[in-house]
Amino acid sequence: MLLAFLLLLFFSGLILWLLRPHNKTFVGWLSVLPPGLVAVWLLGQVGSLTEETIYTERHLWAPSLNLEITFRLDGLALVFGLIITLIGAGIALYTHYYLKNDPEQGRLYAFLFAFMASMLGLVWTDNLLMLFVFWEGTSITSYLLIGFKHKSAESRRGANTAFIVTGFGGIFMLAGSVLLAQEAGSYTISEVLKTPGLMDSPIFPAALGLLMLGAFTKSAQFPFHFWLPGAMAAPTPVSAYLHSATMVKAGVYLLARLHPAFAESPIWFWSLLIVGGITMLIGAIFALGKSDLKALLAYATISQLGILVMLLAFDSEIAAIAVVIGTIAHSLYKGPLFMIAGIIDHATHTRNIHRLANLAREMPMVSAVAIVAALSMAGLPPFFGFLAKETLLEALFYAVTPELGILPWILIGIAALSGAFFVAYSLTFIWEPFLRRTSPEAQAHVAHPPSVPLVLPALLLVIISVIFPFVLTYPAPLLFDPASSAIAGAVVETHLTLWHGFTPYLITSLIAIGGGILLFAARQPLRRVLSQDRMDGAMIFQGVIDRLYATARWTTHSIQDRSLATHIAVVLMTAVAALLYAGTHMEFGIDLQLGALPITLSEVLLIIVSMIAAGITVRTQSRLNAIISLGVVGIIVTLIFVFFGAPDLAITQLLFEVLTIVLLVLVFYRIPLQLEYTPLPSLIVARNLLVAIAVGIFGFVAVLINARPPYFPDISDYFMRESVPGGHGGNVVNVILVDFRAFDTMGEITVLAIAAVGGYALLRAHQLHNRPNQTEADGDGSPAQSSELHAPAPVQEVNPHA
Amino acid sequence: MPELYLRLLARILGPFLIALTLFLLLRGHNLPGGGFIAGLLAAATLELQILSTGDQNVRQRIGRFLQPGIGVGLLIAMFAALIGGVAGQGIFQGIWWKIPIGPLVIDLGTPVIFDIGVFITVVGVTTSYLLGLSQAAERR
Repeated sequence: MLLAFLLLLFFSGLILWLLRPHNKTFVGWLSVLPPGLVAVWLLGQVGSLTEETIYTERHLWAPSLNLEITFRLDGLALVFGLIITLIGAGIALYTHYYLKNDPEQGRLYAFLFAFMASMLGLVWTDNLLMLFVFWEGTSITSYLLIGFKHKSAESRRGANTAFIVTGFGGIFMLAGSVLLAQEAGSYTISEVLKTPGLMDSPIFPAALGLLMLGAFTKSAQFPFHFWLPGAMAAPTPVSAYLHSATMVKAGVYLLARLHPAFAESPIWFWSLLIVGGITMLIGAIFALGKSDLKALLAYATISQLGILVMLLAFDSEIAAIAVVIGTIAHSLYKGPLFMIAGIIDHATHTRNIHRLANLAREMPMVSAVAIVAALSMAGLPPFFGFLAKETLLEALFYAVTPELGILPWILIGIAALSGAFFVAYSLTFIWEPFLRRTSPEAQAHVAHPPSVPLVLPALLLVIISVIFPFVLTYPAPLLFDPASSAIAGAVVETHLTLWHGFTPYLITSLIAIGGGILLFAARQPLRRVLSQDRMDGAMIFQGVIDRLYATARWTTHSIQDRSLATHIAVVLMTAVAALLYAGTHMEFGIDLQLGALPITLSEVLLIIVSMIAAGITVRTQSRLNAIISLGVVGIIVTLIFVFFGAPDLAITQLLFEVLTIVLLVLVFYRIPLQLEYTPLPSLIVARNLLVAIAVGIFGFVAVLINARPPYFPDISDYFMRESVPGGHGGNVVNVILVDFRAFDTMGEITVLAIAAVGGYALLRAHQLHNRPNQTEADGDGSPAQSSELHAPAPVQEVNPHA
Repeated sequence: MPELYLRLLARILGPFLIALTLFLLLRGHNLPGGGFIAGLLAAATLELQILSTGDQNVRQRIGRFLQPGIGVGLLIAMFAALIGGVAGQGIFQGIWWKIPIGPLVIDLGTPVIFDIGVFITVVGVTTSYLLGLSQAAERR
């Protein structure tokens, strides 16, 4: 069922794309159905989780490699699944109206639904390798979505940064998973977590460190947080969905998943505590300095993610509950806030807080939703955000024990400081765009008021988050308890109430609110300080990437200079060197088995003709002759295949030969057919000769080695035997290609397709390069420019003598 | 640079070559042929059209199918590979059906579908190369 849901979401995205949805009103509502359906099914599962009957599902993937797709729907997976599908349904509707009449809308739907499928797979799967596959799936779809407006340099940069950071993290996570699974002897997550003694194994610190790196990069933890603000170049539905409600929580999810097994480890405790604590504080502080509404929300998101990571450091029931409540509350207020930022952008064409004012009168309904959501973000009673903050503080106060000493008090202080900043930027978010009368800079007005369906998703989410705190007794045993139990690794019962009486956490909360109001009053000078440009992670990252490109350019220029002959010499000599190395490290004998196959006269003749043709190719003065004689060599190879009974190979070789010659003719068409014969420097001639001889000798030796009896029992007997009964085909070559070795063929055609994209890009670059020269010489075709475009080698450098 | 004799040759050979392509594609499982070979032959057929009627003409007719074709071919191959997984035998496991058409019984299986995917990819890749290079050659 779960696999079917993933496929449903993936394919419904493609169908929405094909529907060309941008000018069809019904599509907005249609797109709500697939995630809505999954959400309804998940809601139906809610009751069943309290018992020991956790829904699991298994599918074979590649049984011979022990790979299988397993899903396990425990409380944590269910809560995340509900967040993903419910907010996803809202975002699906919002997207249609946000990108109304944008012809690219369909593409966004396809990526968005592919992301949804990956993200659901990530939280549902019970296999470490599948977790990695889905994890990378979210990274790739996030890359495509951030770079959605691919004509903007800012989008491309944001997409690249996000993908490189999270992609690297994903690789680390894979390495950690493999280490862990090797030690535990299983890739099934629920089994790995139950393996005793994992923490005592010598590789545990490495495995844990790698897994944590994956989680920290994905969830934008310090010092990797810089990719998240850059990702705000994405269209707003994407920011609302991926970069606040779901994808960035994948890291938190992973840590929560591992929590029951590793929470006792000191490495775990200190890493999460320090990284999460720093992230929480700097995110909250920098958010106040941002004047772009989306940037403000992005830093607020970073801070909230820091809180969740920090909470996961603790091994207590209340910390687990705080993670669950914090995750749900954050999704319920941050999603709507991002949607509001998008609505403002849509209506006024700016997100600059200095240019916005008075929106409460111009868009009353939007403002009401925004203010409620922002009050929840501030953590003011009686909203859901308040509840989340109370549980956070309760968890920190719970950690006050003699052995931790002063540490919890420091954390409470930092949390209160962050809370004050939360209040300050939330109030800024409410006051400046919505309530104040005039803006300091040229005021933007509502050009076209938002339609009702654009506001509806935000409104519904906010209504849920308002109702939640008052009906806590209902969702608590059904949703919060199973999820918290999954994090804590033991049965947890929550006792949440909105009003606890005058507890220490309430007093801390009040202090934070008071501090926040003071900070809000002092926001102007604070902003001036905070908004100054300084060295940040993004700049360091860009510097590293620039150095990498410079190094790549340097190696390319120094190893592969502009002569084709040098290129080929480098490639061939590398192959020879590899063979030489292999030759010194293995035993081989040459067994010619002369007489086993009688040599016929026709074969000898063919060989002689091919040698003559090869000689002509090298010595001729005319390019056309060179091409033709090269063709002769190829045809003779084809004939040899025919003689030795390999018709498939012969046909392929013949067709390749034909196409190669046509391609060569097309290429050489650009070059004068007669060579203007400039003798090569003797040093180059000597080099070419040496390379040719070396390659010839090694090719010869390699063939001789291959001709000896094989090292391993021959597999071809098996193929011959199984071809008809197992493969239903008489042509064993084809059966190998499409059945026995179909996986290899799949890889080959994929490589072919990638090569086609590369070739297309090369041809395009060539055309782009030529264009300025053809139309007008206004300096665009200057040498400095052309060398950057990697211009094709000028005529005289392509030399068949090489 | 359309050539009269070449055009005549292409006109006569074209349908024959296309038929041969399909023949090679479908018989490939039992006799020499298959998706790869048929794909190359189809590309060669199209190259004959490019040489005789010019790349513009061919591009106008089939150009917009080529690059999507590469992806479609990959998807078909992948789809064929996944059928085995859905049928519960693991991916890339060949599944065969006997399809009776009149008196004939056709042995159709996922490897045949896979081969068709290979065919489409190879045609798309090779022809887009040929078209690109022809264009570069003609507009010098």
